[in-house]
Amino acid sequence: MNLVVYILRRLAISIPILFIGSFLVFCMVAAAGDPLGELRTQPGVSQEAIDQLSRQLGLDQGIVPRYFDWLGGFLTGDWGISIAQGSNMQPVFPKVMSAFEVTIQLILAAEIIAVLLGVAVGVLAAVKQYSPIDYIATTMAFIFFSMPIFCVAIVLKMYGIDLNVMITDMGWDSWLGNPFLKTTSPESLSGDGFFDSIINYIGGLLLPTLSIMFISFAAYSRFQRSSMLETMSMDYVRTAQAKGISQGRVIMRHAFRNALIPVTTLFSVNFVTVVTGAIITERVFAWNGMGSVLVEAVNKNDPNTLMGWIVVIAISVVIANLIADLVYGILDPRIRVG
Amino acid sequence: MRRSKAISAMAVTAVSALVLTACGGGEENSGGGSTGDVSGMAEGKAQEGDVFTLADVPEMDPVTVAIDDQFTAYNNDTADANSSYNNYVLTSVLAAPTLLDGNNKVLTNGDVMESIEVTSEDPFTVEWKIKDGAKWSDGEAWDCSDFYLAWLAHSGKADGFNVASSTGYELIDQPECQDAQTFTAEFSQPYIDYKGLFSSGAILPAHILEQETGIDDITSITPDSSNVSDVAEFWAGGWKGFDAELMPGSGPYKIKSFNRNSGRVVLDKNPEWVGAKGGPTEVTVRTIPNTQAMATALENGEINVAASTQPDSTAATTMQNLESQGVTYGSAPQLTYEHLDLNFDRLFADEAARKAFFAVVPRQEIVDKLLKGVQPDAEVLQSIVFFQGEDGYEDRYSDKAGQGAEQAEQILQDGGWEKGDDGIYAKNGERFSIEISHNENDRRKQTVEIIQSAASKAGIEVVDDQDANFLAGRVDKGDYDVALFGWSSEPFKTTQKGLYSSDGGQNWQGLESDEVDKAYDAAVDSTTEDEAREHYVEADEALANEHATLPLFATPSMWGFRGIDRVYMQSYNGALWNVGEWEAAE
Amino acid sequence: MADLNSIEAGSESGRDKNPDGSGAEALPEARSQGTMVLRKFLRHKLAMGSVVVLALIILASIIVPLFYPHSFADASFSSYVDPSGEHPLGTTQVGKDMMAQVLRGTQFSLLIAITVAFLTTVIGVVLGALAGYLGGFTDSAISRLTDLFLIVPSIAAAAIMVRVFDGSWYVVALVLAMFAWMPIARITRAEAMSLSQREFIEAARASGAGTGRVVFKHLVPNMVGTITVNATLAVAQAVLAEAALSFIGLGVQIPDTSLGLVISENYEQMQGRPWLFFGAFTVLVLISLTINFIGDGLRDAFDPRQRKVKA
Repeated sequence: MNLVVYILRRLAISIPILFIGSFLVFCMVAAAGDPLGELRTQPGVSQEAIDQLSRQLGLDQGIVPRYFDWLGGFLTGDWGISIAQGSNMQPVFPKVMSAFEVTIQLILAAEIIAVLLGVAVGVLAAVKQYSPIDYIATTMAFIFFSMPIFCVAIVLKMYGIDLNVMITDMGWDSWLGNPFLKTTSPESLSGDGFFDSIINYIGGLLLPTLSIMFISFAAYSRFQRSSMLETMSMDYVRTAQAKGISQGRVIMRHAFRNALIPVTTLFSVNFVTVVTGAIITERVFAWNGMGSVLVEAVNKNDPNTLMGWIVVIAISVVIANLIADLVYGILDPRIRVG
Repeated sequence: MRRSKAISAMAVTAVSALVLTACGGGEENSGGGSTGDVSGMAEGKAQEGDVFTLADVPEMDPVTVAIDDQFTAYNNDTADANSSYNNYVLTSVLAAPTLLDGNNKVLTNGDVMESIEVTSEDPFTVEWKIKDGAKWSDGEAWDCSDFYLAWLAHSGKADGFNVASSTGYELIDQPECQDAQTFTAEFSQPYIDYKGLFSSGAILPAHILEQETGIDDITSITPDSSNVSDVAEFWAGGWKGFDAELMPGSGPYKIKSFNRNSGRVVLDKNPEWVGAKGGPTEVTVRTIPNTQAMATALENGEINVAASTQPDSTAATTMQNLESQGVTYGSAPQLTYEHLDLNFDRLFADEAARKAFFAVVPRQEIVDKLLKGVQPDAEVLQSIVFFQGEDGYEDRYSDKAGQGAEQAEQILQDGGWEKGDDGIYAKNGERFSIEISHNENDRRKQTVEIIQSAASKAGIEVVDDQDANFLAGRVDKGDYDVALFGWSSEPFKTTQKGLYSSDGGQNWQGLESDEVDKAYDAAVDSTTEDEAREHYVEADEALANEHATLPLFATPSMWGFRGIDRVYMQSYNGALWNVGEWEAAE
Repeated sequence: MADLNSIEAGSESGRDKNPDGSGAEALPEARSQGTMVLRKFLRHKLAMGSVVVLALIILASIIVPLFYPHSFADASFSSYVDPSGEHPLGTTQVGKDMMAQVLRGTQFSLLIAITVAFLTTVIGVVLGALAGYLGGFTDSAISRLTDLFLIVPSIAAAAIMVRVFDGSWYVVALVLAMFAWMPIARITRAEAMSLSQREFIEAARASGAGTGRVVFKHLVPNMVGTITVNATLAVAQAVLAEAALSFIGLGVQIPDTSLGLVISENYEQMQGRPWLFFGAFTVLVLISLTINFIGDGLRDAFDPRQRKVKA
C-alpha cells in the first residue's frame, strides 16, 4: 500500500514539471520555423490552399491557445497530425509510438546485455584488482567512453559486412540466411518457425544492439568496479571475511548486493544518454526509430511530432527514474520508499 | 570509489591500435568512373517513336528498391502530401496518359492511350483518347470520368481540394467526356505543355469517390455544383493513410501493403493490367535516408536497387567498387538546376557588382570537385531555361562567368569600386561583402566554400549563410544577397514565367526586365512547340544579359543495382517508371 | 554514458556513508591539503602523462596555425590529394587542407568544451549549494527545476535551439551547458547538505555571515575537490556531446567548426581515405581520453582514503 502511495506521489510531482516543460518546449518549437514555409515557396500552390491548411492546423492562432489546444488533444489521446511537407497529415500518436517501440527494442536488449556484462566484468575487475583482467577492463572502458558512439557503430557495420561475406564463403548462409547480419532495419524480425525467427532476430538486431551496448557497458563495468571496491573495504564485509566465510560467499552474499546500488542509480541517470546513443545508432543503421523521427521533425518544422516525441521521452525518463528508485529500495533495506 | 592509479599505457595503445586498424582496413579507391554503360538503359525496351508500351518479359522474383525519403500518399496532389518520393512509387501504380523515359522524352503511354491530339488551335482544344480495356485493379474501367475528376480537383475553380498545383488545368474552360473513352478540353489560351497534364499520379479512381460520396456520376458535377464540397472533402481527405479497398492501381502494379511507420510500401501485380504482365512479382520500396547506408545495404545484399537523388561521391565510390560483385552503377543529370540568384534590391542592384561576382564563381571547379565523383561526365550548366540535351540549349554563360579574379577586379574598378584597406572592394562606403544563403545541404555548403575561396582573391568577401529555414520562410521574402538552391521541374516550361517575369509569384530576387517579360509572355501564348522554343531562347538570352541568375549544374541522381538486367533512374519519376519490364540478370 | 563520471565522483559524498570522507576539511587545513593533493596528483603517472599530451594538443592548436602555410578557408587545391609533405593529412573534397581543418576544429572544440564546463560548473555549484544549504522551499524549487531539465533530452533541445538561433559555437556551447549542469547540481546539493551540519558552517552562521558569504566563502571552498573533478570531466563530456550533435547534423555550423563537424563530414572516408577521418578522430579521442584520465587522477588525489590503499 505504502508503495502505491509512493508511486502515485512521485508521479503527481512529475505532472507540473511535465506541464511547464511541455509549454516551454512548445514555445521553442513554435519559434523554430514556419511549418508551411516550404509550401509557400512552391509554384502553383494557391494562397487559398495555404490559408486552409493554416486554419486547419490552428497556425493562425496565438501561442497560448495553440498550446492549450494541443494539450487538450494530447490528454484525450489525439496528438494531432504531422504537418511537415509531404507527410500527408499522418497522425502523430501511431508515428511516435511505433518509433518508440523500435528504439526501446534496441535499448532494452542492449541495456540488459550491458548491465549483465558490465556488472560481471566490474566485479571481476574489483575482486582481481590490479590484475591483467582489471587493466584490460579499465582500459577498454576508458576507450569506449572517450569515443563518439557513431564510430563504434560504423566500425561494427564494416565488420558485419565482412562477416557476412565469410558466412557465405563457408556456405553457412543456407541456414543463417543471406545476408545474416543486416546493416539496415530488417523487413521483419519473425521467420518461419522458431529457429528461423531466432536467426532473423539476431541477424537484424545484433549490430545496432552491440554498438549501444559497448558504450553502456563501459560505464556499468567501471561503475560496478569502484562501488564493489568500496563495499569490499567496508567493516561488515571485512568482518565476514574475518569470520572465515569463503571468499566467493562474501562477495556474492554481502558485497555484491550492496555494490549494485550505485549501478541502479546509474541506470536512471543514464537513461537519457542511452536514448541519445540509440538515436545516433539508429541513424547509422537506418532504423525508423525515435532518431529519424526527431531529425525529420526538426528539419521540417513539424511541431506536433516534436511535441509528441519530447513528451514520450520525458514520460519514459520519469518512469525509468521511478523503476530505479524502487529497485534501489529492494536492494538496500535501509532505504524505505515512502 | 577508489580506482587504480596507474593503468598500463601499453594496454591503451594495444586496444586502440586494434580499433584504428579496423577503421582503416578498407580497400583503396579505384577512382571515379561509371561502371558499365547505363545510357542504353534510358529507353524502354519496347518504346517506339513517341509511344511507350511495356515490353513483354518473363516474371522475376520480388525485388527491394531503396529511395531517400518516405512514400506517404496515394493522392500526391494535395498541398500537404506533395513530394517527389510519392511520385517515385505512384509512377508504377497510377497510369498516366504520358510518361517520361530516361532521356526525359515525353512519350504517350501506349498501353492505356490511343492518342493525345490538339484538335483545334483556336480555341485551343485537346483530345485524349483512352484505349478500350484499360482497367483499375478492382475491375472498374479506367476512363473519361477519371480524367474529369482529375480536372475538377486540379482546376482551382472550386474550394476545398487543397490542390498542390493547378498549373495548366486552370486554363481549361470546357472539359467534356465525349464518350467513356474520349476526354476533350477547351483552353482559354494556347497551352502547348498539355502533355504534362494528368501525369504523375494525377488520375485517381473516380468510381471509388462516387461510391464513397454517394454521387452517381462525377461528370455531372461542376465547380459550381452544390455537392462539389463533398467531392473536395473526399478527394483531399479520403485517400490518407492506406486502405487497399480505396486505393486500386491502374498501372502495372498496385499497392499491396504500406507500413507508414517502417517506411515500407509493397507493390504487387495489377491483375487487370491491360499491358504486358511480366517483371518482378513484388516490389518493396523502402526508405534509407543516408546514401552511404544505402550503398552498404546494396553491398550487403539487403536491397536490389539503391536509387538516390542526393549525389554523394563517397556512396558513389562504394557502389562503383562493387562492380566485381555484379553491381551496375549509373548516374545522370536530373531535371533540377542548381543556381545562384542575385538579389537586385541590395548590393547587386549595381551591374558591375553582378558582373564581377559572376566572374569569380569558379563553376568548372565546383563541378569537377563536387560532381565528377558521382557523374564522371558532369558538365557546367550554361542555360537557365534549357537543360543539356534539350533543343534550344546553348552555352549562354561561359563568356559571362568564371573569368577569374583579375577580370573581376577590372570590372569592379571600371564600375567605380575601390579596394579598401582591408583588401575588400567598396563603393560609396558599401563594402563588397555578401552572404550566400542556402538550406542545410552538404553539397551547397561545399559550393560556398569553393566560391568563398575564389572570391577572396578578387577582393570580394563571401559569407556563408546556412539556414535550415532558408527555403521555408526566407527565400520567398527575398531575404538574401545571393540564394543558392535548385528548381526542379518536368520538362515543361510554362511554370518558368513565374520565376523570372517582373510580376512572377516566385520572382523573389526583384528582377525587372522588359525583354525577359516580353519573351516569356510570347512563349506562353505560342501554339506550337517550335514557336515557343524560339521565345524561350530569347528569354534565356535576356536573362543571361541581365547577369541575374547563374546556373551551376543539373544535379545528378545516382543509382546502383544488382540482379536486374536494366534499371534507369528517370529524373522526375524515379527508378520504377519501367519496373514492369525488369528481368533477372543472367 | 556521459554522466557516468560525475555521478561516480559524486556518489561517495552524495550518500552519507562516509561522514568523515569526501575530501571536505575545515578551511584552515585547506592549504596543507592543497599541497598534499598536488603532490598526489603529480605522482599519478597516467594523469600527468595526460596533462602533457593535452597541453601539447592545446599548444599545437594555438601555435601551429600561426606558422602553418595553408589557411583553413583556402579551397584552391585539388580534391582528395593524398597525404604528402605539403598536405600532411591530404585535402578534402572541396580542396581544403585537412590539417588546417583539424587544427581549427580542435580550437573550436576546446573552446566549446571549456565554455560548457565553466557554465555547467557555475550553474550547478551555485544552484546545488543554495539548495543544499538553505533547504526548505529553495531546495524543492531547485530540485524541481533540476528534474525539469533532466527529463528533456538535451539532443532534442539542442536541435531545436540551434534552429531557433543559429549554429555558431557559442549557441551550441550554451545549449549543451543548459542541459548538462544537473548532475553537478545534485552532487553539490548533497555535499552542501552534509557540510551544513558541520560545526565550522554553524559557527560562520552564528557569527552573522549572510547566505552568500557562507556559501561562497565557506561551503564552496570545501567542495573544491568534487567541483574540480566534475568540471574536468564535464570538458570531456562536452567534447563528445558536441560530436554527437554534429553527427546528426544539428550541431555547430560553418563558418564556425569543431572536431565533431570535421569528423561527421568525413567519417564516410574511413575506408577509402582514412587520413581524412583519423586526424580529427584521433585528436578528439585523445582529448576526451586524457581529460578522463586527468579527472581520474584528480579524484584519487582528492580522495583522503587513498592513503589507506596500496598504490
